[in-house]
Amino acid sequence: MYSFNWRPVFDNFDLLLKGLLLGIGIAVLALAIGSLLGLIAAFGRSSGPRPVRLLVAGYVEGVRNIPLLLLIYFAYFGLPLIGFRVLDNLWSFVFALAIYSGAYLTEVFRAGIEAVSKGHIEAGKAIGLNRWQRVRFVTIPLMFRIVFPSLGNTFVSLFKDTSLASAIAVPELTYGAIRINVNTWRVIEVYLVVGILYLATCYAIASGLRLLERRFAMVR
Amino acid sequence: MDVVIANGPLILRGLLVTVEVSVAVLLLGTLIGIMGGLALLYGTWPLRMIARLYVDAMRGIPQLVLIFAVFYGFPALGLQVSAILAGILALGVFCGAHVSEVIRGGVGSITHGQTDAAKAIGLTFAQRLRHVIFPQALGRILPAWVNTAVEVVKASSLVSLVSVVDLMMAIQQVVGRTREALLFYAVAALLYFTVNFTISSIGARLEKRYANT
Amino acid sequence: MSEQTSRRGFLRSSALKLGAGVAVLGAAGCGISGPGAAPGASKLNEVLKRGTVIVGTGSTNPPWHFEDEQGNLQGFDIELARLLAKGLFDDPAKVQFVRQASDARIPNLQTNQVDVVLQFMTVTAQRAQLADFSIPYYREGVGTLLRLSSPHAGALDLAKWGRKVKVSILQNVYAESIVHAAIPEAEVLQFDSVANAILALDSGRVDAAAIDDSTVRWLVRQNPDKYKTGNYGWSPQTYAAAVRPGDPIWLNFVNTVLHEGMTGVDFDFYAAAFQKFFGVKLAPPPVGFPVEFGARH
Repeated sequence: MYSFNWRPVFDNFDLLLKGLLLGIGIAVLALAIGSLLGLIAAFGRSSGPRPVRLLVAGYVEGVRNIPLLLLIYFAYFGLPLIGFRVLDNLWSFVFALAIYSGAYLTEVFRAGIEAVSKGHIEAGKAIGLNRWQRVRFVTIPLMFRIVFPSLGNTFVSLFKDTSLASAIAVPELTYGAIRINVNTWRVIEVYLVVGILYLATCYAIASGLRLLERRFAMVR
Repeated sequence: MDVVIANGPLILRGLLVTVEVSVAVLLLGTLIGIMGGLALLYGTWPLRMIARLYVDAMRGIPQLVLIFAVFYGFPALGLQVSAILAGILALGVFCGAHVSEVIRGGVGSITHGQTDAAKAIGLTFAQRLRHVIFPQALGRILPAWVNTAVEVVKASSLVSLVSVVDLMMAIQQVVGRTREALLFYAVAALLYFTVNFTISSIGARLEKRYANT
Repeated sequence: MSEQTSRRGFLRSSALKLGAGVAVLGAAGCGISGPGAAPGASKLNEVLKRGTVIVGTGSTNPPWHFEDEQGNLQGFDIELARLLAKGLFDDPAKVQFVRQASDARIPNLQTNQVDVVLQFMTVTAQRAQLADFSIPYYREGVGTLLRLSSPHAGALDLAKWGRKVKVSILQNVYAESIVHAAIPEAEVLQFDSVANAILALDSGRVDAAAIDDSTVRWLVRQNPDKYKTGNYGWSPQTYAAAVRPGDPIWLNFVNTVLHEGMTGVDFDFYAAAFQKFFGVKLAPPPVGFPVEFGARH
């Protein structure tokens, strides 16, 4: 019968906690960079010239159909082998995750852009805003409020995806579990605690987002 | 080009494993998902609670953690499980939560009017389910289920992290051997893309067939 | 080997084997605590009846166990498995391999998924509580694999560079302490497979890959234009086969096969594998007084 021994887990709890925080940080960074990418791509796809639209479509469809792990391996192992020895393992992961989320966010933002009602845009034209000003002061703010729930969901997803960083030895939560587990064989205790930590964090993030949603998001 | 052909068999075998794992996960997940979905929709209160807890739990735990938990945890409890089985079980349970929600959403979107009309003409619960609800729900469930299938194929790459020689692991071995990173990562991307694109296309065609409900 | 159909015949032959095993292994310190298993209940009987021996091994770690281009298993562990099959059935092909990850080595034994594990398994007291180990068939150590262009010569050299050094290693029980034993301040990156740990070296993500000395030699032999061998090996480990505990008859048999491979009738088989996978030509054991009891003239 399995005899529980919680000490190795709680002795190393700081390792897990640091990993958790790193995971959140990575998710935030990836969301930020991915959003920038997605925003540009979304505008490109909805109102750009044909070649740009095709490029964006290629990016979105290409990335959405391949595993995140492939992107991670490419960024971490592949890039240096073809000469781009720039990013360390943490930033390789952020880069890969940002590219991955960018593809999803492109579609999210595109739907948001198209959902901004013509009425608001007409109003903008009526008070004399030019094209760029309309985009900056009407479309983008409204669009963000519309897509806020989707952005929130994406953030939670990205946080879960940070567990893959353990494959390239980035010291986030899952890697912490691997280190404790591998050194002390306390498998069940470790993964129970890690699972609960992920659950609790996702729940906390989701609840926080729901509160924000009530203030920010626009229900159409 | 020769190097691709030379390593072709290894890569194709990895692809086969990926497909096998994906199919197994999808089958298991759909089975669990149907039960879960029905529980969420029509179950008694305790059953609904359990299903709800299950779905919410899977939403908050990364798939990789689940795979590790099964792969390392089961033997610790005395349950023998191979790497590939651990992966399939873990991902199948995860997929089941997704499918439960898909089914709940699909069926739940059918208006009460339909169920009332069906009750009015005297159909039993089972008959209502079979002839009225399910055919209409199918049109809504199918696209989401196809999405789930694509996610499953992508998630199957995680089993390489418990030493299952799937496409991902095979590519890593080949890249290690030949150093042709760009070439083989592109090959991997192409293969995954092809599989998933095929699934999406079949899904789109099926959707057209059931779309008029 | 003919099937043991009569209980008396089996008892007699296993008693003979037991006697032979005790005589040969007495000096090696393997105490046999009486016929613990009930007659006919040993795995040896089961294996003989089955006609093949099921061997748990890995598939991603040259030169011990790996796949060639066609996907066939080869390696030193594989050769030892064939030696076992040769001893059982006079046919080195009568092996069924179960590819398993490192962490399934003990669980697969405990649940009888495999008859024996030949998977470069390090003998530790912790593991000995869960499985029975055979006599050693190799003494391994940790070495550093370096890129040919690396400014370092080996582990001691790397240690001089302090914190700046990054070393990759396979996820395993002693990962961090092994590296720090020779390179105290290195940053240790653990990977899920040796392939990935080496790929990290190729990509310049780490300065050295801390992997088994035998693997270092194998890789350098295969790719002298890519890598060089670190000049310092440390951390001795014993590799042995593992069987399910509580079956002295089977354990004795495995020990006998290994022993005769290293010092007796099957020496040529063992030495050929040794040369093929480690590049080392073994001298045959001197004839006369048995080497097991100390070299004497």
